[in-house]
Amino acid sequence: MSRAWWWALLVLGIAGAIVFYLLTMPKTVPASELPSHTPDLANGEYMFAAGGCAECHAEPLAKCKDVKIKDELSLGGGRCLRTDFGVFHVPNISPDKETGIGNWSTLDFVNAMKHGVGPGGVHLYPAFPYASYQHMTYEDLIDLKAYLDTLPAVKHKTEPHQLTFPYNIRRAVGLWQLLYVDGKTFEPDPKASSEINRGDYLVNGPGHCGECHSSRNFLGGILKSQAFAGARNPEGKGKVPNITPHQDGLADWSAEDIAYLLETGNTPDFDVVGGLMARVQENMAKLKPEDRAAIAAYLKALPPLPDAVPRKKKGAGKEEGDEEENTEESGGEASDAASPSPDGSE
Amino acid sequence: MQKFIVVVCALLVIAIGASAAISAEDLAAAVKERRDLMKKTVAPAAKLGGQMIKGVVPFDGAKAAKAMNDISSVPDKYVTLFPKGTEHGAIADSEALPKVWEDFDNFKALATKLKDTSAKAAGAAEQGKGTFTAAFNDMTKVCKQCHESYREKLE
Repeated sequence: MSRAWWWALLVLGIAGAIVFYLLTMPKTVPASELPSHTPDLANGEYMFAAGGCAECHAEPLAKCKDVKIKDELSLGGGRCLRTDFGVFHVPNISPDKETGIGNWSTLDFVNAMKHGVGPGGVHLYPAFPYASYQHMTYEDLIDLKAYLDTLPAVKHKTEPHQLTFPYNIRRAVGLWQLLYVDGKTFEPDPKASSEINRGDYLVNGPGHCGECHSSRNFLGGILKSQAFAGARNPEGKGKVPNITPHQDGLADWSAEDIAYLLETGNTPDFDVVGGLMARVQENMAKLKPEDRAAIAAYLKALPPLPDAVPRKKKGAGKEEGDEEENTEESGGEASDAASPSPDGSE
Repeated sequence: MQKFIVVVCALLVIAIGASAAISAEDLAAAVKERRDLMKKTVAPAAKLGGQMIKGVVPFDGAKAAKAMNDISSVPDKYVTLFPKGTEHGAIADSEALPKVWEDFDNFKALATKLKDTSAKAAGAAEQGKGTFTAAFNDMTKVCKQCHESYREKLE
């Protein structure tokens, strides 16, 4: 190659780096954006439950993948999330100054929640669901930060994330944020009832329901067209159910059924929710009945969508397809035929 | 005496033979039986109770009591249906996590708790909807405790 070509390549490379740098500049709100607001600790505690912070940030009971937690007020982190992008180690958000977020200002906290940017302009990975939290009001965030400050400081240094290329390039999260984050606070839909609007806020803001119940593209961005239509379990086996009012989802559930599940953990068939949803439900149980009703009303008003993840057919007994269950031949043909729906309780 | 020894030996042989005969079919039968107890007895009864407290069907003390007694009849039998080799992954249709066998005492204690709380709910049913609702909710907490620790739900 001639020298000219080398020069051209070099210039292109530098130009590319500059563009990347500019595009991925951390976006934050200035202090002047924050309203003057006296923190309301009771509301902060309420948002702590609605936001399910402890579901991820409380120390896991024993192993890092445990869904069960030690103490929901002890936010030393350490839970590991095994995802397609690698392993995330959930950070310490207790008010410890060295290993937690004790040195964060309210503005730092707001920028993390609304823009996914930590102090010093560090991009935060969206395993932290700020694409949902960004819709929260400044007041709720200020209250939440004030409440977090009252919790016990836990000295616990968590491990760094172990991500695969290219996801391990932290700066590149800035590109993701260009697509999915604008920090805009939820605005009520004037055409919808105040109940639906409240449900909308709780579901899409603090509740971050779509983070698990919606499918994502290869970038890890939520597919709007399939919102709430279910997804693969982001942490491995199985799937997260469709919660739209489609036959594949909650069509047969009344709003009361949904609210009752959030309150008690019982489905209309009196099965119990499990996995991470058990933790979520325990937090939902702390909300006011009218807020659970609002969430239910909002979900029932969603456009009905078929399952985003194809489900295996039930009943026919011929369409197998679950890797886990059908690897074992156990002389169980008879029991297969006798219980065609593998859906019941045990 | 000799005759006695022979009889004892014969019985031993039969016993050993019988235990060795816990075949794959027996294991599958245990899985099916325990799941049937849950699906055909416990779940419909719990659903009826729940529909009554939700007001989906009118509250009926006698029916509620019967449903709760149905549930209470299950746990004693249920815990006998967990032979080794019937954990999730080892046999088709099993939702029982290996943890069941790791802490069987706690598993059994939860079964006893289900028996007690459902019996209590049966008693409460006769005292009206309010009393029943509280007792019923105490019972379903046990459902949750146990499922959360010991069940891998199949899709």
